Amino acid sequence: MYNYVLRRVGFMAVTLFLVTLIAFAVTNILPGNVALVILGPNATEESLAALQAQLGLNRPLYVQYFDWVLGLLQGEMGQSLRFGEPVSALIAERLPRSLLLAVSATLIAVALSIPLGVYAAVNQNEAPDVAASMFAFIGISMPIFLWGLVFILVFAVWFNIFPTGGYTSPTESLLGSLKRLVLPAGAMGFALTAYIMRMTRSSMLEVLSAEYIKLARAKGMSQRVVVLRHALKNAVIPVITVIAFQFSYAFGGVVVLEEVFFWPGIGRLTLTAIQSRDIPLIQGCIIVVALIYMISNFAADLLYAYFDPRIRYGGDE
Amino acid sequence: MSAQQAEDADPVASSTADSSADQPLLDVRGLRTEFRTETEPVVASNRVSFSLERGDTMGLVGESGAGKSVTARSIMRLIDPPGEITDGQVVFDGEDLLQKSEKEMRDIRGNRIAMIPQDPMSSLNPVMTVGEQIIETIRRHQSVSKSEARRLAIESMDDVGIPDAEERIDDYPHEFSGGMRQRVLVAIGFSCEPDLIIADEPTTALDVTTQAKILDLLNEMQERENTAVLMITHNLGVVAQTCDHVGVMYAGNLVETAELDHLFERPRHPYTRSLIDSIPEVETEYDELPTLDGAMPDLSDLPSGCNFAPRCPHATEACRSGGDPALEGVGDGSSRAACIHADDLDLSESTAAKSGGGRREIDRSGEPLFEVRNLKKYFSAGEGLLGNVRLSREGGGLPTIERRYVKAVDDVSFDIYPGETVGLVGESGCGKSTVARTVLRLLEPTGGEVYFEGEPIHDLGSGAIRSLRREMQIIFQDPHSSLNPRKPVGRIIGRAMERHDIATGEEKRQRVRELLERVGLSGDAANKYPHEFSGGQQQRVAIAHALAVEPKLIVCDEPVSALDVSVQAQILNLLNEIQEESNISYLFISHNIGVVRHICDRVAVMYLGKIAEFGRIGDIFSAPFHPYTESLLSAVPHADPKRKTDRILLEGSVPSPIDPPSGCPFQTRCPKKIGDVCEQEVPELEAVGDDDHRISCHLSVAEMSERDSFIAPREKREVAGSD
Repeated sequence: MYNYVLRRVGFMAVTLFLVTLIAFAVTNILPGNVALVILGPNATEESLAALQAQLGLNRPLYVQYFDWVLGLLQGEMGQSLRFGEPVSALIAERLPRSLLLAVSATLIAVALSIPLGVYAAVNQNEAPDVAASMFAFIGISMPIFLWGLVFILVFAVWFNIFPTGGYTSPTESLLGSLKRLVLPAGAMGFALTAYIMRMTRSSMLEVLSAEYIKLARAKGMSQRVVVLRHALKNAVIPVITVIAFQFSYAFGGVVVLEEVFFWPGIGRLTLTAIQSRDIPLIQGCIIVVALIYMISNFAADLLYAYFDPRIRYGGDE
Repeated sequence: MSAQQAEDADPVASSTADSSADQPLLDVRGLRTEFRTETEPVVASNRVSFSLERGDTMGLVGESGAGKSVTARSIMRLIDPPGEITDGQVVFDGEDLLQKSEKEMRDIRGNRIAMIPQDPMSSLNPVMTVGEQIIETIRRHQSVSKSEARRLAIESMDDVGIPDAEERIDDYPHEFSGGMRQRVLVAIGFSCEPDLIIADEPTTALDVTTQAKILDLLNEMQERENTAVLMITHNLGVVAQTCDHVGVMYAGNLVETAELDHLFERPRHPYTRSLIDSIPEVETEYDELPTLDGAMPDLSDLPSGCNFAPRCPHATEACRSGGDPALEGVGDGSSRAACIHADDLDLSESTAAKSGGGRREIDRSGEPLFEVRNLKKYFSAGEGLLGNVRLSREGGGLPTIERRYVKAVDDVSFDIYPGETVGLVGESGCGKSTVARTVLRLLEPTGGEVYFEGEPIHDLGSGAIRSLRREMQIIFQDPHSSLNPRKPVGRIIGRAMERHDIATGEEKRQRVRELLERVGLSGDAANKYPHEFSGGQQQRVAIAHALAVEPKLIVCDEPVSALDVSVQAQILNLLNEIQEESNISYLFISHNIGVVRHICDRVAVMYLGKIAEFGRIGDIFSAPFHPYTESLLSAVPHADPKRKTDRILLEGSVPSPIDPPSGCPFQTRCPKKIGDVCEQEVPELEAVGDDDHRISCHLSVAEMSERDSFIAPREKREVAGSD
């Protein structure tokens, strides 16, 4: 197990290195001159050259890259051109908000989808199953932002229960923060529910026909015990990977959803950075998002081992 | 079994039935279970009536699809939709179970009627510890505290012979061997001291030595607790060794019930006779193995008369038209049979044809066709590039790097002559299948030499190997997964001919038809897809496929293990016939030493990657014996209740090939171990007596000859005059 974790961490380091290469390459190939963006179209040749020298942009690319990676290793991501603040500080402020949104959405999705999936599987091909499958189909067919708009329309415009958007820090007002969290997290959670539910359902169906389920019934176990104790614990194993994948997907989805709900998280920060050719900020955002993605998948693999006693990574201990 | 009236004569109202002592524990009356299908319901179990006394064992036998398991599950009311019990009564201890509510049934299941399922590998929940699975059963039915339930669970694991129960109770199922898992299932079954155990093929998935131990365990537990057992099995050997009464099922009906001895001495139903005759006896030489021809009718399309009439040698016009006969008492009434001729027929004599002469002599004077010398195949232990490397610090000092291997095949030598069949037998994990794959270079050998007609296979490049593949074919255990499901079998076979330039076009099609006819299928079968054939027919197709390229050697890797007993003999006969015609050689791999007896000329008994004994079939089955061979042979259950062989039960299970024992690999389990020499010195495979019978053991020839033979002709036994 210990060996396995070490190997995985090493693997993640390599991946992260490749991500830095790609992020750096892409942002430098992008058309648009940073100095020009900062100084505006009326800047003189001299002032542009002076600014480029000041920003270090006239050095060879590989020097710029190593400089940047060296900074990354020390937690330094450079200065944002647009905001004039350290990139790390900007991300540190926005990231928790996005995480709050993505984690809440995933929790909502799990809380909804697993019971629904189990219920559908137990009532296979009957009315509840068909209804759940249809719901899942609609959920999968609609993009996340559309769910956002539907939620705003229903809960904010028609019923006026929740605000249409914005963000309040939980330290400022817990209730106010929750109120603003409900709609974006709910919309995203809803979109994620469908897929996890379908996985839960098919996994449950497979497990429910297993021999050990038949034996559990032959031991006099009630339907409740058979489903919840014997079947669900097995069925949930493949679903874990899906949940981790959906969490990563949610994190990608925040870019659009934050825009819809005026949620000042890392998604909107990335958009602003791209619009203003804020290269250090774009790079920082890419790295952080990639890192989150890797960590969530790593966590899924560890959870896998936790739930499935047959998997003990790295052979014998 | 109590004499019983024809089933639908008097339906006893369950409410008024008093549970007095003279009533049987279980009385099944006219049970009928149907499965709804899109067209009309299929009756999987029909008019089934029998009774079982406390403490007795009843066997339920028949080919697959006969309705044995459905009947057993119906008794526990565990039929899943679309199945449904539509008629009858299941009177258990005076009460009709079919009248009970689901909740009342749950209190009975696992508590008063328990089940021991077939497959130990899939019947335990993989994410729960074995302890949890035993404890939940106890806590479900007995009001005991958690710690008390745990104590009881440990006790029950002790009872079924699981060593170190106290430490092992928190282990997960995958940490146990197959035999140990089956013991856990037995422990679960007996944990609430039930009155009735339903054992559904409890040993079918196990090796023969493990099977013997589990059967002994069941007998012992049953005697201690005075439990009644309903033993469902297709193996008449198991029935003969364990049961008091037998019920024979055919196409959903019970066609005969009898006391064990009566059933074997004077079967009353022709199907029972055929079933008994289809089991080859170890001591008999056959020209052709007895078979049970034909197949059970499709349950959705039963014949108008007796269900067995189409296969019955005694069938008359009355049988074919008069409807399916009911089960009725025969003779003095202790047997019941569903046959209109039961009173007139005398079925006490076996109809199986025995051999006049001996078996064909193999000419071993020339060069062998195939020769294996000191073959080794090691797999690295652990996964990944460096997974098998382990730091060891034995004796202190600096750690040293050690590479660890699983020695799946370790120094194996044998040869095969033209027209000969050489068998490799041993329990699962002994390395026999690895030998098969390595000699064909499907796996790269780690060391050793393999010659085919003098060509060094171990030295050939991949191109040369491919052209040699034409001469050497392989047939696998599971024909279903080795035939491409998307192609008609004619194209599968034809493709093999094209690839090796044997025939094309019209000639090819003609040959495909001939081949299919040769293996007992119709030529038109060429247009069918693999899934349209039964398991036995698929294996015939696989044989035709192997024969298509006119090989000189076919490696048969457990070719009949996945098939019904009645079909096994047919396939073995086919292989024998083909050999006689074309002088082909077989390397025959099997875990079933009984099967090997009738097809092989010479046999290698393998244990932990090494050959323990090698010799002609007669040498293997008679003294001197390697102690392992002896125990293997003694564990085969004979389909003859008069023969209670003194089985030699082996302690423990096969050691891990990563950490094989020092000295003789068998020393950890050997009942005849001498002492230090066994632990220190690896015995050589040495000749004992004449014609290359070799045994790898430190014992003297005399010590290995205490038992005479397993195949010596049996003395004419006394027929009990009770019938």
